[in-house]
Amino acid sequence: MTIAPGPPPPFDPELAAALDVLDLNLPSPLTAKVLPAIREGVAAANPSDEDLSRGGAYTVVRRMVPGPAGDPDVELLILTPVNAAGPLPGIYHTHGGGMIIGTSSSGVELFQEWLDEIPSVIISVEYRLAPEHPDPAPVEDCYAGLVWTAEHADELGIDPDRLIIAGGSAGGGLAAGVSLLARDRGGPQLAGQMLICPMLDDRNDTPSTLQMDGLGVWDRSANHAGWTALLGDARGGTDVSPYAAPARATDLSGLPPAFIDVGSAETFRDEDVTYATRIWQSGGIAELHVWPGGFHGFDMLAPQAAVSREARTARLHWLRRLLGA
Amino acid sequence: MRDLAARLTALDPDAGAALRVITYFDRLTSARAGLPAIVRGAAVLAGCPAHFSDPARRIHLHVTPDGTSHPTPAPGLTSAPQLTPGPQLTPASGLTFARPDKSEISDLSTQEAGAPPSANTAGAGLSVQVGAGPSVQVGDGATLSLERSGPPGPVDAMILERAAVAAQAALDRTRRRTAPTDAELITITVDAATPEPERLQAASRLGFRSPSRVRAIALPTTNPAIHAAPDPAIRAEPTPGIRAELGADTGPPTRAGVGPAGRIADLPASFAAARTALRFTAEGTEQDPGPRIVHAEHLGGLALLADATHPGTEPIPDVRAVDRVAATAPWALATLTAVADSPSLRAAATTLRLHHSTLQERLTHLLPTLGWDPHDPHGRLRLQLALALRRLHRSTLAPAPPLARSTPTADPTLAGPAPAGNAPARDAPAGNAAR
Repeated sequence: MTIAPGPPPPFDPELAAALDVLDLNLPSPLTAKVLPAIREGVAAANPSDEDLSRGGAYTVVRRMVPGPAGDPDVELLILTPVNAAGPLPGIYHTHGGGMIIGTSSSGVELFQEWLDEIPSVIISVEYRLAPEHPDPAPVEDCYAGLVWTAEHADELGIDPDRLIIAGGSAGGGLAAGVSLLARDRGGPQLAGQMLICPMLDDRNDTPSTLQMDGLGVWDRSANHAGWTALLGDARGGTDVSPYAAPARATDLSGLPPAFIDVGSAETFRDEDVTYATRIWQSGGIAELHVWPGGFHGFDMLAPQAAVSREARTARLHWLRRLLGA
Repeated sequence: MRDLAARLTALDPDAGAALRVITYFDRLTSARAGLPAIVRGAAVLAGCPAHFSDPARRIHLHVTPDGTSHPTPAPGLTSAPQLTPGPQLTPASGLTFARPDKSEISDLSTQEAGAPPSANTAGAGLSVQVGAGPSVQVGDGATLSLERSGPPGPVDAMILERAAVAAQAALDRTRRRTAPTDAELITITVDAATPEPERLQAASRLGFRSPSRVRAIALPTTNPAIHAAPDPAIRAEPTPGIRAELGADTGPPTRAGVGPAGRIADLPASFAAARTALRFTAEGTEQDPGPRIVHAEHLGGLALLADATHPGTEPIPDVRAVDRVAATAPWALATLTAVADSPSLRAAATTLRLHHSTLQERLTHLLPTLGWDPHDPHGRLRLQLALALRRLHRSTLAPAPPLARSTPTADPTLAGPAPAGNAPARDAPAGNAAR
């Protein structure tokens, strides 16, 4: 890209106000030193099992399943609607957190909110985190959990034809990577991939990345820290696996229908738009939403804002069309 | 800003939360956020529903803390929350808000939607008293309120104050031209030059929707009125109702021409007929006897005369004769009018509260000046026509009302449908037709 990017696009007014009030900027630089404290904070903010049960609407089960060959077992968080007649759609969830933070219960409320519209079994994978467990541990853990889930669809009450993968941020990148793995290994047939502001490109040099340097929720330096934790010195080099950084994939054909959304004022804007474009160019199916003035994860941090509500509605509507629900 | 912060430090034990409130609304304002975002902000930061009501601009917003907007009924249809505001806060007057109990003070981000446990006493259920919370005036006439069923939150006052400032800025920017007044809307409904969809929309905003039957009413000094016709089967006889509506309780009823009942889309035609009927009205006094309210549907062929007669046309000799009679005695015109309008002389005497023989004496005095005898049917018709023509000559309303879409103004007394002919008839020069 030879054209110098312009100034950063302005945040949506409501999102900007919320951002100021929330004062969520991660400490910069994001170093291994501050990581434990951040992880602790994220874990404390996670929903408890009682929260996850939603007053008894879901059963909450944690189950160890086989991990990648030669690696430890992987824990799956299994949320099953109590009052819905199966088999149900399955949402296999890969949580976000820059590859370095978060747990399996981070962000699942997004899908639990659809209990009335599309009751689904939600499986969220507790993958190993970087930098303690660099690539390919996270994506292979996620894939192993998906394979087990697909093989045990009956037992889980999941309709195997309506199993999708979904994740936000790093979880979106992992969902995209797992979709590529499933295609290339002849693994589970996914009905769709919901990539919410996905983290796809370790090169960290798109115009949006440069524009948002030092701004918003997950800026260029935080992104650099996340990718470096995952890939080490290989980050940005010539030898990065497309399953770790799906923007590196040369072939985006034969993938399940994709839903991709992203804010216009975030680091990941350009890599996400490019990913959707390349899926179309490969003859695939993708739905792309770029929400103006959205910062990274805007709809989770300011869910009441008008643009956040629209973004959430768009996801639900896509899923409804995809599943014919 | 610094002053405000200092004031907060003095007043609010949780200045951090208050400062965040300030930051939030300042940011919305500087980013030129719209009114919904501001009301939503109030709801989110307060953790309870927020309600904004601006009856003059017809804006009603109700937002719950999750950001959901709920349509609220128009005022008048139900107990509108803005009619029962809680304690008033005026930004200029400083913070006069009741201090919250210290134990209720919590970090802004931990405030939850819904009522604190103490608010729900046994039997109270979850019903939320609409409009029970604190409120603040926004400009003149608008109200922003927080709908709390329990004790106030620690920064409610700050939220309302800052949201009100932001809302005022948003309104100044986006809604400076106020929504049309009812008078302007009515003017639109009867304006033949306005496309039908626009007229129907204006009627709808006034509460008239198909298939309602309505009639237009032309008034001498103000904007037109429109009136629901209660039953299409009843032809043009709701005079008592209209009389009441036109202000009988505040003095004598105004003069009015009443148009025929019909579809909302036909209001311009009804209004044109009403204006014609208005020209046949009189003050109903001894000096200007005749009906104050005339129904267009009762005019019959007289309506044709209206098209041919106006103050500028030359009166026929019979009208000049009536003028001459009128000049002979204060009671002369009323006497002729009673004779013309009554089925018999005896009935005319009753109308005039005269003895039958007194009326006879008066007529004996007047008829030579008139020049014809109104006792026989032909003479009576001739007198009726002469009196009607005289009113048309004296009426200052233009004969064929070209209802221009004259820039309606907010003041109904200034926004006549036809400015040229809008002078009150009672102010017309008495000698207009008697020159």
